[in-house]
Amino acid sequence: MKITQIAGFLGCGKTTLILALAKHLAGSGQHKVALVVNEIGEIPVDGKVIEESGLRVKDIGGGCICCEVASSFAKTLYGLYKEFRPDHVLVEPTGVAVPHQVKLAARMAGRDARVSMGPAIVLFDTTRPAELLDMEMLGRLVVTQLEDADIIAISKVDCVEKSAVEESRLRIRQINERAELLGLSSFTGFGVEQLIERILNWKD
Amino acid sequence: MAEKGCYSEHGVSGYGVAVKVSRAEPMDDAFIKGLCEELMLSVARKCMELGARCIGHIKSHVKTQWGTIKADTIGISHGAYSGGRVERPVGEFYLAVNSIVQGIKEDVVKAATLEGIHETVAERGLVVEKEKEHSYFDEFDFVASKQEYIRKLEEQLGEGSSPKAGENDR
Repeated sequence: MKITQIAGFLGCGKTTLILALAKHLAGSGQHKVALVVNEIGEIPVDGKVIEESGLRVKDIGGGCICCEVASSFAKTLYGLYKEFRPDHVLVEPTGVAVPHQVKLAARMAGRDARVSMGPAIVLFDTTRPAELLDMEMLGRLVVTQLEDADIIAISKVDCVEKSAVEESRLRIRQINERAELLGLSSFTGFGVEQLIERILNWKD
Repeated sequence: MAEKGCYSEHGVSGYGVAVKVSRAEPMDDAFIKGLCEELMLSVARKCMELGARCIGHIKSHVKTQWGTIKADTIGISHGAYSGGRVERPVGEFYLAVNSIVQGIKEDVVKAATLEGIHETVAERGLVVEKEKEHSYFDEFDFVASKQEYIRKLEEQLGEGSSPKAGENDR
C-alpha cells in the first residue's frame, strides 16, 4: 500500500488534483485506490465534492492529521489496509499541514500494515506567490511545506502568464533545490500524467 | 481543547456551517451559482474587514433535489468560481460553507460566515429555515445516507479515533 500525500497551502488546488489523480489511477483498472481527506472546519466540503465523483473517501475530522489527530490518521490507514487492501492511498492533508509530519504519522500505520511512502507532492499556487511567501506567519509555513516536498507542482499555470510561472519557479528554487519542479493545471490536465508516473515509479 | 493544532500556530482559523434555505419562487442553476459566488466574496470581504490578513480558502457545497453546485474563493481580488449543475429549478436547498482564514480567531470567522450567509440569502429573498454546525446524523448529510454516516461514526467510536465525535452532538 503506497501512501502519497498531495499537500500545499489552502486553495492551491489539492482537491481538484486528487480527483484527477484518483480517476487516472483507478480508471486504468490496474490499481485499487483509496482517498483520505482531512479538513479544517466541521463540514467536510472537499470530501463531499470527491464522493460525488463516485470515489470512496474517508474524511478525518477533529483536527489536523499532522499533529492533533495523527493517531486517527494512522488508524484510518491501517483500517483501509485491513479491509480494502488498496494499492494506493492518496492523502489530502489540511492546507496548513506540514508534509514531513504527515509522513511520520503515516509511518505509524506501517507498524501494523505493509506500507510504503510515495512522494510528498506539494502544490504551489502560482496565482498568489507574494501573498503566500511574503507574509510573516504564513510565509514560514509555506516555506516549510516547500522544503519538505519531494515534488513541487506549480499549480494553476493556465491562469497566469508564463513569466509569472517562471517567477514562481525561481522563488521555489531558492527554497528547495532538491525537489523536482513541475507545472500543473488540473483543469486542462497539464502535468497530471507526469505526476501519475512519478507516483507509480516512486521508491521509498 | 487539549492540544493546539498546527493551524493555530500559524494564525489560521476555520469554521463550518450548514443551512437549509428556501424561496417561494423557484431558483435555477444560474441563480444558485450567482448566489454562491456572491456569498463567497461576501464572507471573504467581511473576514478582511474584521482583520483577516489572508483568505485561505472559503468554499461551499449546495445540495438540491436536482443536482449539486460547489463554489469557492481564495480572496476578493481572485474572484469566486462555481461549478456543478442543478438540472431543474428548486424551491429549497442545503448549503454547507467552510471558511478558513488567517489572522482572525474562530469566533470572528464564525461571525463573518454567518453574517455573510444571512445577508446574501436575505438580499435575494431566501429564508434560512435551519442552521447547523455539524454534519452527522441528519438531513444535513449531503452525500452519504444516514445509515452510512451512523455506520462510519460507530466504526470511528469503536476505534476511539474520533475525538470530536461526541462534541458534534451540539
